[in-house]
Amino acid sequence: MMKRLVATLAFAALTLSAPARAEDKPAKVTVGYLNLVNAQLVTKHLGLLAKEMPGVDIKYVKVGGGGDMLRAIAGNDVDFGGLGNPPTAIGATRALPIKGILVINLLDYVEAMVVRTDKNINSLGDLKGKTVAAPFGSTTHYLLLQALKDEGVDPASMKIIDLAPSDIAAAWLRGDIDAAWFWEPNLDKAVKNGGKILITSGEMSKRGYPTWDIGVVMNAFAEKYPSYVEKFVKAECEGIDFWLKNPEKTAEIIAEELSLPLPDATRMMKGTGMVPCEKQIGGEYLGTSAKKGKFVDTLVATADFLVKQERLPKLLPRTDFEAFIQPSYLEKVVGR
Amino acid sequence: MSVEASPMAIPISADRTRRGSWHLPTVSRSMLLSTLTVAVLLAAWAVVTEMGWANELFLPKPQAVWAAFVKTMTKGYQGATLLQHLGASLSRILVAFALACLVGIPLGVLMGVSKNARALLNPLIEFYRPLPPLGLYTLLVMWLGIGESSKLSLLFLAGLPGIVISTIQAVTSVDPVYVRAAQSLGATRRHLLLHVYLPAAGPLILAGMRISLGFTYTVLVAAEIVAASAGIGWMIWDAAKFLLSDVVIMGLIVLGLTGVVLDLIMRGIARLLMPWART
Repeated sequence: MMKRLVATLAFAALTLSAPARAEDKPAKVTVGYLNLVNAQLVTKHLGLLAKEMPGVDIKYVKVGGGGDMLRAIAGNDVDFGGLGNPPTAIGATRALPIKGILVINLLDYVEAMVVRTDKNINSLGDLKGKTVAAPFGSTTHYLLLQALKDEGVDPASMKIIDLAPSDIAAAWLRGDIDAAWFWEPNLDKAVKNGGKILITSGEMSKRGYPTWDIGVVMNAFAEKYPSYVEKFVKAECEGIDFWLKNPEKTAEIIAEELSLPLPDATRMMKGTGMVPCEKQIGGEYLGTSAKKGKFVDTLVATADFLVKQERLPKLLPRTDFEAFIQPSYLEKVVGR
Repeated sequence: MSVEASPMAIPISADRTRRGSWHLPTVSRSMLLSTLTVAVLLAAWAVVTEMGWANELFLPKPQAVWAAFVKTMTKGYQGATLLQHLGASLSRILVAFALACLVGIPLGVLMGVSKNARALLNPLIEFYRPLPPLGLYTLLVMWLGIGESSKLSLLFLAGLPGIVISTIQAVTSVDPVYVRAAQSLGATRRHLLLHVYLPAAGPLILAGMRISLGFTYTVLVAAEIVAASAGIGWMIWDAAKFLLSDVVIMGLIVLGLTGVVLDLIMRGIARLLMPWART
């Protein structure tokens, strides 16, 4: 009995320590993608992931925002996901079993604060007494609070409410809210119905508060199927490449995927920053395995902010955020 | 909310002999057993977390949940203390529940007394009763906006059918002998309603009210998901976004305990109003 137990344990230890010699093929890969405008839509539309992973059942799940994505990850409902820097900082601090493997997009004017034209709001100070919506825990909620703090406006002087992007659009049309900081494709509905842009996420980036979305993989999946993580990165890189080289065709794809008129899709595309994969391992972005890039700085700054907002219990050391960024798959894909 | 929610269940306990009066409950066998259940659960929770068998992200230690409770009581969670959150939720629940009673009991009596009224209104009640609250809520938000009215409506609609249906049942099950006896003594319709139907149907109506309060309670978190900035349900939802599971579990415990207290109050009211009822 004892002997058998020992043997089993030894066997288990062996198989665990052996570096995935005969790597299995996953039966199914679930990709959670954020409902926003970026090259993941191109990858999905062109079926690039399916080409990289023949015989694997690929499932795409649309997720409304970072908060929902965190729940999906915590619930182990996805293999790959995408997160903005605030939810990433939350996930890394709470030790969610994920790693950041590629830059999905940088956020420029694809995210912005829209205000009601007839309410005479010309600065953040004018928001006093108004109702302002943002999806809590997302990039725009973070930027809203950051911007208010920067300009010395007390967040308690207005009513800040938590709404999902699609609910913001509905509430805007009903006239329930005066301002909202959120993203395309729903942002446009507010702008076209009596709204104007007060400030964009791109402007906040220039002020030193960049926001971006990063592709993440579940640790368990990455350990079991490392080459499939590479395949995922490769497919997404092809999507990004297509986006950069064929803007017109991309706009058509975006328009079709999000049921938008073509001019709107083209404009939203331009508001999104797309980084070619070979540049992503540069110091401005993820960096290399040996020397992690500026994304770590953004994560540390974001986490620090969230700790001050009492949304996170404590600020982890920088090394924890460095460990979260994992450019090794990207390095293999771009051949370095 | 309680195993005794069924009006047919007759609790066999010592305090039945002293019903209608307020006494400290004597320590009975069933109370000891109930305490045992709670103690075992708490001990299991402590052991599982102390031994590190559970990921702390999903199941924090009891002391972490206690710390979250103390912190929320004193410093508050996102701008409001626990009592303020609780107050916001309770006022929503009680207003909606009161409205459900004000509408539901007369409606139930009417439908119980008149077959025509029942035939007219039944399709409505029976149709929306099984609808999932969240599905209903999206429509309510579109119609009524993101303010209090949509939240109250959702809670109201969750509470209404329980009251209506149990009131109908209560009224139709009143012994016709009572009615005929009162009529032979010259009772008017008003007399019949106030002195025969309501006292006879009262216990069943109250049982329905208890169940309905429970239903109202169960949709609280759903009601507070959209655009609330205070309330226990909102606090739980918001904390989940930031993976603050200690706050989530603390909020759930507070919700559960508050629900038990509300139910006890309802039973107390029942005993005071209807000492003849077995609640």
